[in-house]
Amino acid sequence: MNRRTFIKYSFLALSTFYGINLLANEQGAELSPLPSIPVGGIIRPPGAITDKILRAKCISCGVCVNVCHLMKYDSIVIAGIDDFNQLGTPIIKDMRDYPCALCMECPRHCPTGALQQVEKENVKMGMALIDFSLCFGYNGDVCLSCSKACPLGASVFEFYNSNWGNQPYINEKCVGCGLCVKYCPLGGSAIKVVTIGQYRKIRQGYISGFKEILAMTEEQRYNLVYNNNLPQIMARGRLIEREYR
Amino acid sequence: MPIDKIRKIVLMAILFLFTLQFFGIKFLSGSLTGSLLLWDISLIDIFAYLESLFASKELTTKALYALIPIFLLYLIIGRAFCGWVCPMDVFFNLLSKKKFNDEKKIINNQRERLLKKIGYGIAIFLLIQSAVIEIPIFTNYMSHLTNFFRALTAGVFSLLSLPFEKSLLIYSLSAILFLLILELIYPRLWCKSLCPIGKTYGLFNKISLLRLSIVKDTCIQCGSCNESCYMDIDIASNTDKAFLRDSNCILCGRCVDACDKKAKTLSLKFRR
Repeated sequence: MNRRTFIKYSFLALSTFYGINLLANEQGAELSPLPSIPVGGIIRPPGAITDKILRAKCISCGVCVNVCHLMKYDSIVIAGIDDFNQLGTPIIKDMRDYPCALCMECPRHCPTGALQQVEKENVKMGMALIDFSLCFGYNGDVCLSCSKACPLGASVFEFYNSNWGNQPYINEKCVGCGLCVKYCPLGGSAIKVVTIGQYRKIRQGYISGFKEILAMTEEQRYNLVYNNNLPQIMARGRLIEREYR
Repeated sequence: MPIDKIRKIVLMAILFLFTLQFFGIKFLSGSLTGSLLLWDISLIDIFAYLESLFASKELTTKALYALIPIFLLYLIIGRAFCGWVCPMDVFFNLLSKKKFNDEKKIINNQRERLLKKIGYGIAIFLLIQSAVIEIPIFTNYMSHLTNFFRALTAGVFSLLSLPFEKSLLIYSLSAILFLLILELIYPRLWCKSLCPIGKTYGLFNKISLLRLSIVKDTCIQCGSCNESCYMDIDIASNTDKAFLRDSNCILCGRCVDACDKKAKTLSLKFRR
């Protein structure tokens, strides 16, 4: 066997292996037990000021992706053809498993300035929203996992203690890195990061919902927690358990 | 040792250095469009920089710093990028049905000149287009370098079960496949005319230090340089000059290898 045929056959074997691998990935379609807060758009890596500047400057070189991989966070991926205008630009795809850790290496190394160097506190990737009907802290527990995971810590979290738990609330200083999403112990996470544009749309409803829960009487709250929320939380737990089995 | 062999080793070594980034070694990360050397030195491809500049209409100092080392490097070695670094050279070589020592090859100088002009036209058109729609259009959608490295990164990530965008992988692979089919139908059309990255590096050939030098006295007019030329340059009729300064010359050294067997007239030399 000469070199050329060897290369040909190894290429063939590699591509078959690869195809099988891709198909196998397809079969394990992920059921997404994420809370029902719509994301509405794509979440960018830290340092992307506006989508327009990012789109104009990004040359799709993949430095950010590989820097993120070398820092062992793996949160940045390059966007596909879902939105053809955004093909080749960096996005953060999977915050449940691979959130951004705000190490700020990608804007430091971006060669074109599509991602601009900013302070950690001034990053605006999105906004983390807690689903009050799923969060343990609103349903009779003291959890604090999200606030412990937060890289900005005390400035982002507010706590409203009551008989119904240590109720955490994420204020608008949140940068949307998604670390709390990953470390939420609820099956599928009770937190979701939404884009800024989407947050502006649902802001009123979200805040009024939060105030409504705080203003509830004990009886109302009992009904809400025991008849509505806890069964949901338990169902989620069973769903995730089944996944692990 | 024939130059062709050295060239292939250099090409493979650079690709290998790029694959190290997937296994946690911070030596060379990114892609040939824009990369990061030793975790601190940013590098950027010249055409990609131009497109980004035209699309954003804003001079970024960071990008300029990234451009300087590349600019200086190619002032020295000219269009050697195409022959010594670009990974498509390997694929095109594997594909080409025509051996490069093709005895019956007739070079049509007029056609080559026209192709060159069309190439510059395409490059300028792409720059204007990216300024109009504010997207670096060639680099993001068509470039073989970005597509190759995107496919490579997504492929390796899929094997390591890390997040990647499947539709992007398929897009990039089909873009590469398209180029390979183009190469089968019109051999070397991409390199000679269509690829604007090569065109920008070709401009450096006019002033670069590395060049193809010709010693006229030993030339026996055998024409083996023309037969072996990858880019169909008429070297044989330029032997009265001391140096070849064609913007299509990729300094691959195929002609030098061919010449060494018979006359030892051609050589790649650094000269001021």
